[in-house]
Amino acid sequence: MAANEFLEHRLASEAAPAPKQKSIVRRVFWTTTALTGTFYVGSTFVSFNNQTYYDVFSEHVPLGQSMLEYAEAHGWDNLTVDDVIEFSTETFITTYSFFSDMIKKVTGEAEEVKEEAEKKVQSVKAAATKAIKPAPKPAEKASPPPASAKTAPKPAVQPDAKVEPVTSTVKKVSPDLEELVARAEAAIAGKPYPGDTQASSSQPTSDILSDPQVYTAPLPLGFEPPPGYSRPQPPKKTQTKPAEQAEKKEEAKPVVLPLVAPAVSSFTESEPIISHLAGTIDNLASYLATNPAAASKATDVLETAKKDLTSLADRFEKVREDERVALEAKLDEQTREYTIKLLELEMEAQDKLDSQQEDFKKVFDEERVKIIQAYREKLENELRTQTELINERLKEEVIAQGIELQRRWIRDIKVRVEQERGGRLAKLDELSADLKRLERIALDNANYLDDNIRIHALWSALRALNSSAISSPVRKPFREELRVLRHITAAREDPVVAAALDSLEKTDVPDVGIEPFADLSTWFTSEVSPKVSEVALVPDENAGVLSYLASRALSGLRFKRHGLVSGDDVLSVLARAEYYLNEKDLDSAARELNQLQGPAKVLLHDWLEAARKRLEVQQALEVVQTQATLASLLVV
Amino acid sequence: MSKPSSSEDILGQKYDRCLADLLVKSGVGFSVGVVASVIFFRRRTWPIALSTGFGAGAAYADCDRSFNPARIPGTRVLSQNEAATLQGNKSN
Repeated sequence: MAANEFLEHRLASEAAPAPKQKSIVRRVFWTTTALTGTFYVGSTFVSFNNQTYYDVFSEHVPLGQSMLEYAEAHGWDNLTVDDVIEFSTETFITTYSFFSDMIKKVTGEAEEVKEEAEKKVQSVKAAATKAIKPAPKPAEKASPPPASAKTAPKPAVQPDAKVEPVTSTVKKVSPDLEELVARAEAAIAGKPYPGDTQASSSQPTSDILSDPQVYTAPLPLGFEPPPGYSRPQPPKKTQTKPAEQAEKKEEAKPVVLPLVAPAVSSFTESEPIISHLAGTIDNLASYLATNPAAASKATDVLETAKKDLTSLADRFEKVREDERVALEAKLDEQTREYTIKLLELEMEAQDKLDSQQEDFKKVFDEERVKIIQAYREKLENELRTQTELINERLKEEVIAQGIELQRRWIRDIKVRVEQERGGRLAKLDELSADLKRLERIALDNANYLDDNIRIHALWSALRALNSSAISSPVRKPFREELRVLRHITAAREDPVVAAALDSLEKTDVPDVGIEPFADLSTWFTSEVSPKVSEVALVPDENAGVLSYLASRALSGLRFKRHGLVSGDDVLSVLARAEYYLNEKDLDSAARELNQLQGPAKVLLHDWLEAARKRLEVQQALEVVQTQATLASLLVV
Repeated sequence: MSKPSSSEDILGQKYDRCLADLLVKSGVGFSVGVVASVIFFRRRTWPIALSTGFGAGAAYADCDRSFNPARIPGTRVLSQNEAATLQGNKSN
């Protein structure tokens, strides 16, 4: 008792803070584990699909490399969605079979427990009857034990879940029976420990509602709950109900026992035995209530109850067995079904693969045949075109040869015709050549005539100019004659003549004319020569008036020289000039006189100028005359 | 002849002008000498001769200059030979 209390206390004190912390820690732990697991597994799959992520994962994530190695060793990288589905199906089937095994086992255990509990109940009953028998009369005393006895079997009948609450009530009601109950509990199962029962008994209702130990009580599939308990979805109700019921019963004991039948009337249809049992209990209760002294007679009632309970247990067992059989059958059927399906799928896949392969082969053969045909066609086409080309070329060559032959024949014919026609044509050609020659001659003659006429004109102009300029007895201008001569010579384009006439035309000589040779000669001998001889003795420089006067005075005393005399003095030069003038050589006379220096040259200036002009004109005319002579010579 | 002024007549013209000039200047000198001798020198002859000589001298100088314009008092015109010898002396 004390130990129990201590245990209770301790568990209560420990249990109060524990769940919260534990739950938080656990939640964190599970969450972390799940997240980490998900991350690693997911990362592995992602990295098999993504190369960059693979690198990152293997290099930077701790344990990533080993994870990937593990995954590769187990062939995750070849894993597909179908594999996963298959695997999950297998897992499901395995799990299912495992659970069904478990259920079987549990059911077996439960049955054992039940048997034990029944034994216990019987022993308890026996004890209770014994206890009741020694104290039959005192109603106040006796009333609690039967109640407890009555309640005791109930939890015993309930295989797992309802033991604790009932025990708690029992504990409350009769501490004497506590030991007995504890023993019964210990017998009921190895799992519901007395400690836990007691710990949970401290907070019965709440523990019942959310007790983790409920897992011991989960109903096997297809099993009915114990009498008085339906299978309502919210377990709260079902569990509160019995508690209430029990409480009610316990509370009613001293006062009025409520009728159980109406309370369980809702089950009468589904479970007639329960309603029957309830009726029996009610009967017992009413009997006890009406006749407390007749508690001893309650044995019959109890017997009845026991019988009922046995039948109930039998029924339960039968039902359970049925359910199990049904479930197993179902499971087997399902397994078969799935296996068949799997096989079918495999076969289908195999068929599909085969058919695909055949299709591919067929397609490949067809393609090959097609390609071969296409190539053959191409080859034939090419051959055809080649033969066509060659034929065309041959045709062309034949045509070309024909043309060549034709041409040769034509040439031969032509040659013949030419030979025939040769004589006449040659004569004609000769005639035309003669005509051309004649024409040429005529043209040449015309040119010749033209040239002659031109030269004649030139000569005429030249003679006119000569007569008017040089050989005229008086000085007269000859511009007109010069112009005519220039026009005539311009047609001949003789550069020499043109130059000579140009130089002559530029000066004013043609306007004033030139002195006749007779005039020049007379001018020299009568005027120039005596005056020059008077200054013959004057020095070239620094000659004063006295030297002039002396020279003039002495000139009268000197001998006059004549003829072609040698000497550089003025008088000798004058004699030579006079001689040349007598020889009509104006050029030489002018050359001689041009050598004089000093005052003599000054005196000779005008005469020399006139002589030079005449000589220039004479020279130009001589050039023109020479050219004219040359031209006339060329023409002839 | 038909030519009024020809190059061979230059000398004659010069002679003519010199003579005219001499006559004029001698006459002026003579008359000045006569007046001077009558007025200042109580009819002596030498003033007349002197002034006539002045006039004739001036006429001669002018005539000489007309024949040789390069003759200027204090200067001498060198001939080419003289100039060459002078150059040779200078360089030596």
